[in-house]
Amino acid sequence: MGQSATANSPSAASAIRAGGASAWADRHFKWLMVAPATLLILAFSIYPMLFSLWVVFVNYDFQIPGHEFVGLQNFQQIVNDPLAWSSLGLTIALSVAVVAIEFMLGLALALAMVKTFRGRGIVMSILIIPLFISPVIVGQSWALFLQRPFGPADYLLSQLMGRPVAISWVGETPWVYIAILLADVWQWTPFMFVILLAGLAAIPPHLYEAAELDGVGALNAFRYVTAPQLAPVMLLALTLRLLDAVKLFDVIFMLTGGGPGTATYTTSFYLYQIGFQQFHLSMATAGSWLFLILLSVVITALVRRLLKAEAA
Amino acid sequence: MDERDRREFDAGLSEEVDAWLRGDTSRREFLTRLMLMGGAAMLPGLGYTAAGSKAWAAAAEVSKVELADKSTPLGAAQAAAVKASTEGPTDGSAYRAVQEAQKYKDKGITLNLTYESGLQALEPKNFSGPMWQALTGINFNVVELPHPNQYSQPIAEHIANSGAYDVLDIEPAWIPALANGGVIMPIDDYVAKYMNKADLDDYHPLYKSITLYKGKRWGVFDDGDQFALYYRKDIFDDPKLKDAYQAKFGKPFGVPKTWDEYSQVAQFITDQLAPNIYGAGHFRKFGSPGNQFSFLQQYRANGGKFFDADMKAQLASQAGETTLSQMIAQNKASIPGNNDLDAVALWAAWLQGKVAMIFSWPPTGRISSNYAQRDKAINFIPQSSIADKVGYAVVPGSNGEMASGYVRALAAGSNNEEAAYLFMQWVTAPPLSLVRTMLPYTLRDPYRLSTYKSEEYRALWPAAKDYLVNLCECANSGVVDMIMPGWQDYALTIDRMCTAVWGGEDTKSALAKAAAEWDQTTQRLGVPAQKAAYQEFLQIPGSYADHTVEKLGQAAHIT
Repeated sequence: MGQSATANSPSAASAIRAGGASAWADRHFKWLMVAPATLLILAFSIYPMLFSLWVVFVNYDFQIPGHEFVGLQNFQQIVNDPLAWSSLGLTIALSVAVVAIEFMLGLALALAMVKTFRGRGIVMSILIIPLFISPVIVGQSWALFLQRPFGPADYLLSQLMGRPVAISWVGETPWVYIAILLADVWQWTPFMFVILLAGLAAIPPHLYEAAELDGVGALNAFRYVTAPQLAPVMLLALTLRLLDAVKLFDVIFMLTGGGPGTATYTTSFYLYQIGFQQFHLSMATAGSWLFLILLSVVITALVRRLLKAEAA
Repeated sequence: MDERDRREFDAGLSEEVDAWLRGDTSRREFLTRLMLMGGAAMLPGLGYTAAGSKAWAAAAEVSKVELADKSTPLGAAQAAAVKASTEGPTDGSAYRAVQEAQKYKDKGITLNLTYESGLQALEPKNFSGPMWQALTGINFNVVELPHPNQYSQPIAEHIANSGAYDVLDIEPAWIPALANGGVIMPIDDYVAKYMNKADLDDYHPLYKSITLYKGKRWGVFDDGDQFALYYRKDIFDDPKLKDAYQAKFGKPFGVPKTWDEYSQVAQFITDQLAPNIYGAGHFRKFGSPGNQFSFLQQYRANGGKFFDADMKAQLASQAGETTLSQMIAQNKASIPGNNDLDAVALWAAWLQGKVAMIFSWPPTGRISSNYAQRDKAINFIPQSSIADKVGYAVVPGSNGEMASGYVRALAAGSNNEEAAYLFMQWVTAPPLSLVRTMLPYTLRDPYRLSTYKSEEYRALWPAAKDYLVNLCECANSGVVDMIMPGWQDYALTIDRMCTAVWGGEDTKSALAKAAAEWDQTTQRLGVPAQKAAYQEFLQIPGSYADHTVEKLGQAAHIT
């Protein structure tokens, strides 16, 4: 009776409900924990991706009314656009070039800085400053530095060489490519430097001591000790930097605007132009998918290589 | 730092200390907060009839707006604008807009207005926005966008159905695309209901019908961006140069009338005076609209047509070849770095006296005379070293580009449609338009016949009358941008083509590539649709050199 009376009272019913909810929460605890993140991913990642899959097969060009199904036409337009190919070619060439230069310079700097010396901390701080600057600012700064007739670059070169120098850094090839390389290398060499320096610092000193006892010279010590020990870190640095370099946009946007003509259109800049300036959204989305697929192949290969190196 | 100081500082323009060190007149000396200082006692001076009327209440709010001393031409024009808004004439567009807007007074409405970021946005922030708010109680919010985003952002918001904007500041050439896409809405019904039709006739004929598309009016024109030639009178009057030119070419040394003459004269001046002064300068940096505007005005002056009857692009033609060859000759005769200059950098070179001729937008005349630089908002531009030496002329070849311009258009998703329209009508009404084109820091340029004739405007600097007369003449023979769907794409192609040629590409191949790109654009948008749009474009005064306002017999000549 007592039990029954207790169970039938309002407070008891509420306690049972609370207990039930609590039990349900306990049962589904793991799902509740991942639910917010899942919802966010669905809203901001999965849904846009699925939406973009629809967009590539219809006409989603602002200037053409309606969203008519067009099959593979958007992909065709990209594949048949010579500018898509030339921008892809430039993306590959620039990415390889900047990453190679940044790697060499970063490695040289890391080797120079691995041993402690007076003022090393200050030098390192100065060296990594470019990393903290927005790429847009970097592009604009280099544009101001290089732009004729008010930028100081040509004047400084003239003083250095003792004769007038009139280089159109952002208006003529090949100077425009050199300008892009300069800006990118200036900003991202510190990235390579920091990672490689960390890798160098992690190499056990006894390996060098053993090599020294064996009479191994500096060059061979690098070849037989440093390089193999640093290889996984090198591969990591190259992979991360390459993934970033293929997206090269900011510096192009600020420094060259893709010009002269379309000489400095990278894939990112090309897709931005057709997507957000010309508003051919279907075509830009199709191009983005193609670029993503191409990138995925490269990323997969690099990551596999990286994992293999780490396992070894 | 007050609100305005903060805005200007944000725009990167705060140079008070520099201005003080240069001994410039500060704006606080130039502008007096007339009504704040004098309060009600000063109001009659601006033409108010006090006595508890609505106008009085409005005027009390207007006192918060920064106004120039009424003894200055600008102050007088501002006083007239306030009077026209509060007292009438009662059939005036300004008065009617303000009266109709009173019904929204306590509704808590905020109008979101897009403007180009930077200097363009200062005018609505400092003058027309606060004054509208004071007169009507309707709040305003200036949304600053970089120029390309003034096109793309409203489209994005329209697609998202956000209703983010009420009034859009757009190029006339964007009207067809934005109208077809449903981003803007026609205003014919509002015009019929609220606007004084005489105000439409007050537009220069080049601008009067520029907002018409498919038989409807899609906005009110608001910025007469007519290119004109600005030249150094002292150089063209130099007897030594005159003799040398006569001896070399067997003809008098004068302001060039054709594009071939222009290159020749520019090269001659460069040969004679460089490195102190160069014959000409242009803004031909990548992405700078200087390339497209230069090419399109010159191409049409050379008899070029954009498309044939089948909508096949005609760029790869003799007119195209001639135009690019002429432009290359101009580049060669110009200041070093010509192809890397943007419009502001070119202005800097011009104001420093480094070039003898430039063709550009109307602010060139105001900054050449140092009128604009008196305001700290624009004092980052160098002081003009050529203030009393500048002459004005129609661009060589006669057909100067009406390069871009602005239209105030009604955003289709606006939640405050009528209030937004009323603001558009008020802000472009003759008295307001006059003030806004007279503000020292403004980038809005004259477009009304009444402005060209304004005594207040003509009193701004000694040669202001010549400047206004020339702008009117330039508009008579001016050509407009390609006002049809796809303009963004067609224009981008021209810029790419030009910078490729400046970078060394052969002109024939560049023209052929550009023509192919134009054809692609036309095909993408649909040949029949583009053909119809082109036919409509052909009807617009200023579509071609043989279809200018002057050739149509509609020219407005003022003295």
